[in-house]
Amino acid sequence: MKKLLLPILFLLIGFEAFAQKNFTVSGTIKDNATGEQLIGASVRIKELPQMGTATNSYGFYSLTAPKGEYTLVISYIGYETIEKSISLTKNLDLTVAIGSKSELKEVVISSNKPNNDNVAAPQMGVEKLNMSQINNVPVLLGEKDILKTISLLPGVKAASEGNTGFYVRGGASDQNLILLDEATVYNASHLFGFFSTFNSDAIKDVSLYKGGMPAEYGGRLSSVLDVKMNDGNNKDYTVQGGLGLISSRIKVEGPIVEDKGSFMISARRTYIDLFLKASSDSTVKGSTLYFYDLNAKANYHFDDKNAVYLSGYFGKDVLGLKNTFGTNWGNSTGTIRFNHIFNNRLFSNTSLVYSNYNYAIEDFESDNNFKATSQITDVNFKEDLQYSISNDHTLKFGLNILHHTIAPGNITTSATSSFNDKSIEERYGYENAAYVSDDWRVNSKLTFLYGVRLSGMFLLGPGTFSTYDEAGNTISSKSYTSDQLVKAYFNLEPRFSASYLLNEESSIKASYNRNTQNIHLLSNSTSSTPTDLYVMSSNNIKPEIADQVSTGYFRNFSDNIFEFSAEVYYKWLQNQIDYKDGAQLIANQDVESQLTYGSGRAYGLELFIKKKYGRFNGWIGYTLSRTEVKFADINDGNYYPARQDRTHDLSVVGIYQLTKRWNLSATYIYGTGNAVTYPTGKYEIGGLTTFSYSQRDGYRLPPTQRMDIGATLEGKQHKKYHSSWTFGVYNVFAYRNPYIITFRDSKTVPNTTEAVETSIFATAIPSVTWNFKF
Amino acid sequence: MRTIKLYISFIGLTIFATSCTKVIDLKLGNDSGKLVIEGNITQLTGPQYIKLSQNVPFTNTNVYPAVSGATVSVTDNQGNTYPFVESPSGTYSIAAMAGVIGNTYTMTVVTGGTTYTAKSTIPDFVNLDSVTSRPAIFNTSKNLRQITVHFQDPAGIANQYRFVMYVNSVQVKSIFAFNDQFSDGRYSNIDLIENDIDVHPGDTVKVEMQCIDQPIYTYWFTLMQQDPNGPGGGVTPSNPPTNITPASLGYFSAHTTQTQTIIVK
Repeated sequence: MKKLLLPILFLLIGFEAFAQKNFTVSGTIKDNATGEQLIGASVRIKELPQMGTATNSYGFYSLTAPKGEYTLVISYIGYETIEKSISLTKNLDLTVAIGSKSELKEVVISSNKPNNDNVAAPQMGVEKLNMSQINNVPVLLGEKDILKTISLLPGVKAASEGNTGFYVRGGASDQNLILLDEATVYNASHLFGFFSTFNSDAIKDVSLYKGGMPAEYGGRLSSVLDVKMNDGNNKDYTVQGGLGLISSRIKVEGPIVEDKGSFMISARRTYIDLFLKASSDSTVKGSTLYFYDLNAKANYHFDDKNAVYLSGYFGKDVLGLKNTFGTNWGNSTGTIRFNHIFNNRLFSNTSLVYSNYNYAIEDFESDNNFKATSQITDVNFKEDLQYSISNDHTLKFGLNILHHTIAPGNITTSATSSFNDKSIEERYGYENAAYVSDDWRVNSKLTFLYGVRLSGMFLLGPGTFSTYDEAGNTISSKSYTSDQLVKAYFNLEPRFSASYLLNEESSIKASYNRNTQNIHLLSNSTSSTPTDLYVMSSNNIKPEIADQVSTGYFRNFSDNIFEFSAEVYYKWLQNQIDYKDGAQLIANQDVESQLTYGSGRAYGLELFIKKKYGRFNGWIGYTLSRTEVKFADINDGNYYPARQDRTHDLSVVGIYQLTKRWNLSATYIYGTGNAVTYPTGKYEIGGLTTFSYSQRDGYRLPPTQRMDIGATLEGKQHKKYHSSWTFGVYNVFAYRNPYIITFRDSKTVPNTTEAVETSIFATAIPSVTWNFKF
Repeated sequence: MRTIKLYISFIGLTIFATSCTKVIDLKLGNDSGKLVIEGNITQLTGPQYIKLSQNVPFTNTNVYPAVSGATVSVTDNQGNTYPFVESPSGTYSIAAMAGVIGNTYTMTVVTGGTTYTAKSTIPDFVNLDSVTSRPAIFNTSKNLRQITVHFQDPAGIANQYRFVMYVNSVQVKSIFAFNDQFSDGRYSNIDLIENDIDVHPGDTVKVEMQCIDQPIYTYWFTLMQQDPNGPGGGVTPSNPPTNITPASLGYFSAHTTQTQTIIVK
């Protein structure tokens, strides 16, 4: 650490001296109706077009320019653009509140030219979604869902139909870092993956990094999904909610102290079990099946320089059969953050983050009873600093100390049970990191975003740690005492992005980044079960490493109304994990003996055209890609397509504001089927027809396609309250998309075998939700 | 295991309520002519059988060509050699041989110029206490039964079991392989959950219990996990790891066997 700090310090002092004749304008950009800070709002100087910045996660901006009279232009999608005259003869504090267009209740086509940030910013491989878009995209059963909307973007693929699991640029679903107010969400799905844990009422901003990861993020190979919760209205109390077919939700927000502090509480509960009551099967009738979420947040601004934020999430799925078995699983997170503005150029955020994922499975029958529990708990200290050295350099640096506790499995039983009590040793470790990055505007055309992240993984005792040979037999075992170091790994992760502006409307960008991952999900089931098991890098498991290069061409048309981009990427993956045949992962002390290691590669082309403004907006995304993995003992050691390999992936999203009150939307997706393993022959063993296989993932499920439509009817505007109806039809053409294909002895023709295709949503599924706000 | 199987059945019944299935035609590869060896030695006095056949393409009928003219023998770790003779074609047997608990048997098969060998040890005998039936958990309106096996697992040693179930003399197309990883030394009650043949009161159910060694357990467990309705929820399928070298399809298992038959109440 010391080695790193010293050069940084010199750098700071150097720039400080150089920057004397400039002045800085800094402050916060907010929504004028709710006081919510706006993330990623653009702040630029009209007279100096190359001088611009965007607000950070707390709405803070800092812009340094030579002494002079300027016009500050503040813009944010969905908001009115505002111009402010400033006299930059000294450092200025300028907090600006801007109005949302939706508040005007009419369709506005902005008179100001939309900005070209997407072309000019060095960051590539990033997708930002704003909530109004998410709210208008039709989804299954009317549940707005950020994860499902994200899977409509190029380079992102839904794991399977109806599932919120997603693959980014060929990465597995556990290679996505999913953050909710900085807390890791380990299992972002409800109900076997059909819904995500993110209640869109409580969400303010969503960013997905697919490549060129900024140095402040680390710990996962493929992507970072950074989700920020609403802070709460600090001007008025409001209540809003919705009644839907399968769930209802309510949100309450308001000021704690007007303009100084606010709170937000949002809750959602599903009631699918009500439908099960209609089942003719008395066992299904007596079953439980629901989930709920609770998001809460509060903030208080002591003054212009100091603010504290508290946020928390709690969600649980509960499923069970009366007197037979029960299972529940869920995440809980908590974040305390303290913002401090040292001066108009140095912004600091200190966070203390807690995150937990746990599940329990219980069997109630007296001769088979047991209760098995498993959990992972993180405590994370983060310090992030942002220093606007000059208009040419913005430095970000910080450190991160993350402690993991993993309790892989604990089984308790009664004396009459068939099962024994069993407890698998807990595992402890630190994942620490320090990073520094600089956003450097070399000249009006060339910008670099470069940095480095040093990550250290420390696996600690107490416990017995074994090493295994290739066949999974124990070679040696060693006991470690509390806090004794078992294994340490250090990785230097360079991050580099560059952008070159060809003209006002087009640019080329390139990036290279290395990411490492020290926490790995073990789950060899293809169906989504809650029994996710996490392991840290250890004496057996090496950190997973990904190196990605990408380059792209970005072009805007018609005064930045249309955005087009084409990106290509190539990714090398090392130390990938798979399971040996017949692997036993649940409550296995020697779970690491069940693993096998290999490598992978992923490459592809992503095309994206988006219309952000106007009555009609939406996007078309297309990805052509390939993802392959290689394991010595699978497929004769040759590369084979990974499960997440998808050659073609197309999504079309259209949103149309028909009248003041009616908003229509539609999405269409088409994708190559998943790579699957089909039998190539058969034989008889043990009296059973058994299939023989010659190539792993050598076949494809047929392609999937689906069209969903939605409509929103805004109620008449009342003084006190406002209501709306959301209608949707999922799979409007009732495509039979294959979910799985299985093979069996024929039920109709004796002595033959047959292939059977199962589709889960073979019909159109309508939905309706009533929303209110007062 | 049982709970996870129930969980998967439950998902099937609820979430996939909107699902539907159909039989489809697929173009599949043509993998055929590979040697399949299935060898079993039990503690009961013979005949003991080793069957040699070949696999056929998926689209063929379930008729598997016999492999004739092989030289097949078994030796034990006491120095005895047991030659197997072919009759009928592809079936190699020895009339009066009984495996001995604790002995390790080595199978040698010479065919097509290649010598295949495999080793397996007969584990300790664990007594099948009883087989019972009770109302099935799902589909309650159909008044179905499910079968439970009961036995005392010996404490302190690793045991592996395989069960084969027959309903009215028809073998159930499900694999049941268990070990005592979670139940060492306990009195075990294991539900043989299957959805191949509905069991009704009055049916005759026969259950064979085998005590198998670790490699053979891995073989059956791998096959069981690949069953789409199995505890693995249908993991990526592959040929299960055989104990035969050089690798062929099939296995050689030395195990104990016993059966019980009940009339379902």
